[in-house]
Amino acid sequence: MRQFFPVDDLARDERFVQTNMAKRMADSRSAVGVKKSAKSRGASNRLTPDRHDASEAARSLMHGIMVGEIQALEGAGRTAHDFAAGDGSGDTIPFELKLDMARQAWDEARHVEISAKLSDWMGTELGQFSENTVLFEAACSNDPVLRLAGVNRALEGLAIDVFTQMKEFGQLAGDPFLEFCEDWMLADEVTHVKMGSDWLRKVTENDPDRRAKALEFQQVVDKLFSFGGARGDSDESPIGLARRFRELAGFTDDEVDTIAEMDHDALEERKAAVRLAQEAAGV
Amino acid sequence: MSTDADTASTARAPFAPWDRRDLPGAFDVAETARRVGNYKWTEMKLFEALGGWVATVPELDVKMRLGTHCYHHAWHAELWHKRLPELREMKPERLTVPANDAMARFITAMTEPEGPELTIEKLVGVYRVLIPRFVAAYTYHMNNTSEITDAPTIRTLKFALQDEFDDWRDGELMLQSLITTPDQVRRASEHQSALEAIMVEAGGITGPGSIGGAE
Amino acid sequence: MSTIAVTPERFTLVAYDADRIAEITRGLAERLQLTNPIVIEVDERTPLGKMSASVDSASSDATIRLQLESGALEDTKNLTNFSDTRAHLSLGRLLLRASDRLRDDFADAPPDRDLTNAQNTAWKVYCGGRLERLGLAPIQQQYRYDFRNRFGFRDDVDTLFDRLWASENLGWHDLPG
Ligand SMILES: [Fe+2]
Ligand SMILES: [Fe+2]
Repeated sequence: MRQFFPVDDLARDERFVQTNMAKRMADSRSAVGVKKSAKSRGASNRLTPDRHDASEAARSLMHGIMVGEIQALEGAGRTAHDFAAGDGSGDTIPFELKLDMARQAWDEARHVEISAKLSDWMGTELGQFSENTVLFEAACSNDPVLRLAGVNRALEGLAIDVFTQMKEFGQLAGDPFLEFCEDWMLADEVTHVKMGSDWLRKVTENDPDRRAKALEFQQVVDKLFSFGGARGDSDESPIGLARRFRELAGFTDDEVDTIAEMDHDALEERKAAVRLAQEAAGV
Repeated sequence: MSTDADTASTARAPFAPWDRRDLPGAFDVAETARRVGNYKWTEMKLFEALGGWVATVPELDVKMRLGTHCYHHAWHAELWHKRLPELREMKPERLTVPANDAMARFITAMTEPEGPELTIEKLVGVYRVLIPRFVAAYTYHMNNTSEITDAPTIRTLKFALQDEFDDWRDGELMLQSLITTPDQVRRASEHQSALEAIMVEAGGITGPGSIGGAE
Repeated sequence: MSTIAVTPERFTLVAYDADRIAEITRGLAERLQLTNPIVIEVDERTPLGKMSASVDSASSDATIRLQLESGALEDTKNLTNFSDTRAHLSLGRLLLRASDRLRDDFADAPPDRDLTNAQNTAWKVYCGGRLERLGLAPIQQQYRYDFRNRFGFRDDVDTLFDRLWASENLGWHDLPG
């Protein structure tokens, strides 16, 4: 088995169709108003049950969660595998960090189980929606410290945002399973981010350059995981930024503010890109 | 006022009539540490392999099982890691080694299959060759070590064995559901034979004597 | 046979074919014995899937107007690509709505844009059962989940759902909302 595993080789059965960020961003349609002149902000796109397409949007997001959990499971498993136990220098990671990654693999396996059951409950078929492999691709760097930043801070942080949104959706809709399950998964994800925050600090204790590089990488990934502003403080973003749970997981207010700014930039950049593409297409 | 209870003796034998544990054991501290080091190394290689394979298997149920089992073996490795200093090994890494070269070669051979079409080979290596060897070595150790001086090792062996049995059963179920044609039967048995041969050369998880001698 | 007009005639942001949309609609209209002229407008600027059906009068030769956002015809496995299955279900549902609107007992139904989420969902469920009996393959559990989201996660709601799903020839006032 190779030491590192390329995203293109992630194994799936024939029901799943994979896509990536480049293809997603080449789609020149937009769910939000992109007109520059629009003075007021666009209508709310927040994923709440009062949206006319609430169930369909929730199904699509739940499927996204399920494939995201598969990738998180694969990522955690790979980290347990890819790096030898050592003192944390070079390509090695502490033995205890490998153990944490194995634990995370189990947690993510349960999350796949939970989201597959929830998908079924919501009427979704496995593979019904395309799978964006950006989570694995962006988060699974070959440098263990960057991987911690990408997976356990950026990806798991996104999971906190998404689960908080879905939990609220279940609560408002009165769905007895959705809220229950999301709350459990949220508890695990907060643990995973905490793991990442603690290990990042520990492993880079005597290497400020390495730490700075990791945090820089995390920002790049965070912006990517905003999915063109699909996640953000703005009501135009379907998924909000879960400030309270992020704080519980060890994000500082400054860090969350930075993510909020990047989400905002990503949304505006996406709108501008769509506007240009639509103008060019004459629609 | 004095009662019968005040005057009744509380002196009892140190071992109750139902407690018939024995003092002698087959392993001294150094031998126990050596075996525990081999256990830790092999459990570690196993959880690394399972974690690595998660991304390589297309069958969703197998993917999730491997992720779950990955943690079981990581936990065993952790328990053995913590046992080593209690056995006077202050540098656990020193004893975190394979029993011999053949054992190292076994792990290399077991972890070689990577392609998405090789799920049977991956599972055969783990569930039909390696885990049965864990069950054997752990059982032998549990039944032969001192029940009194080495109680902590026995406790860990029991926890680990419970997982090994459960995972073995899971693995066997997955394999029986995947092996449905004569060609798949051939693949499974050929791979098992090849790995088994290296394992025999290694003598088991802790080398020759993993399950005692053939007296 | 219905005359069918689709706009845009050529799609630029999605890989849809106006002729294929017309062909599917024609087949569905025949199965529903609708002979009215049909106008279809697809908004390809948005990936959302909102859709509506209206008729310009209740007469037998009224023009049926179907409006769809591009997501309603999309292959969710391959975004921006057309899905025949999805298109059958979406266009079928809209044609059923239009044929309902041509009935006297739907005279009180508000225009689609004024329907509440609950009314919209109840009508969707009533269409879902009929689509299944037409030989299409709507996923019932999806409709059930939508219905529960609007009316509650309770046994009596599920019973109501089953009744709607099995119904034919309902009037507007038979639908909950
Ligand atoms: Fe997760
Ligand atoms: Fe996680």
